[in-house]
Amino acid sequence: MPGRPTRTADEVRVSIARDPALVRTVRLVAAAVARRAGRDEEFVEEVRLAVGEACALMVGDGSSGRIGSDDAVTVAMALDEQLQVDVVATGPGNEPPGNVVLADVNGIEPWALLRALIDDVKVVHNGATTMVSMAWPVG
Amino acid sequence: MDLSLETRHEDGHTIIEVGGEIDVYTAPKLRDKITELVGEGSYNIVIDMEDVDFLDSTGLGVLVGGLKKVRAHDGSMQLICNQERLLKIFRITGLAKVFAIHGSQADALAER
Repeated sequence: MPGRPTRTADEVRVSIARDPALVRTVRLVAAAVARRAGRDEEFVEEVRLAVGEACALMVGDGSSGRIGSDDAVTVAMALDEQLQVDVVATGPGNEPPGNVVLADVNGIEPWALLRALIDDVKVVHNGATTMVSMAWPVG
Repeated sequence: MDLSLETRHEDGHTIIEVGGEIDVYTAPKLRDKITELVGEGSYNIVIDMEDVDFLDSTGLGVLVGGLKKVRAHDGSMQLICNQERLLKIFRITGLAKVFAIHGSQADALAER
């Protein structure tokens, strides 16, 4: 299920299969949504990086064996008084940090970049579902 | 944009000129290239990132892994990067203190 953007009045939603090749598609959509906020290119770049990072963490790099699974990663982006981005993945392997997918890679703690990038980021685990929720002020 | 990797040898260093996006999809290609070079005995590597458009934590992990590989052979890994958006990533992850980051290939090659 490669990138399928849909749009309602106030939200853009993209759902991708767990394929690392598709993360770039989400980054492109995220940059387009961020650009609509009317802020500078540095803001657009920050959103592109953060959304790509969150998606990459959810999709994994292939070592998890989840590529090709039917469990999609869904990214919902809403632009209102703030830019709200929720990245949601369901399926095995989304338990809290410490498992194979989210373990350190060569000393890089996977969530470190996201946490350093954004003041308002939350990671919520609910059963087999993980949601990374990020927000930026607009205007 | 996919990842492009051009390799050449100069003045005792192996220079990898990287172009495109280093992310969860493409980073393994860079990792494989570094592994291949180290396997061939290239322990002083310069990675020119001037044409890199995007870098995520997967790419950072590959760079740190490469640094560990060359250091295991008493070698070095230096980066060339002038782009503020990439330098910011190195700074906020603390890796600006780990890597020697230069503004040009000439500066990197002058490093001994």
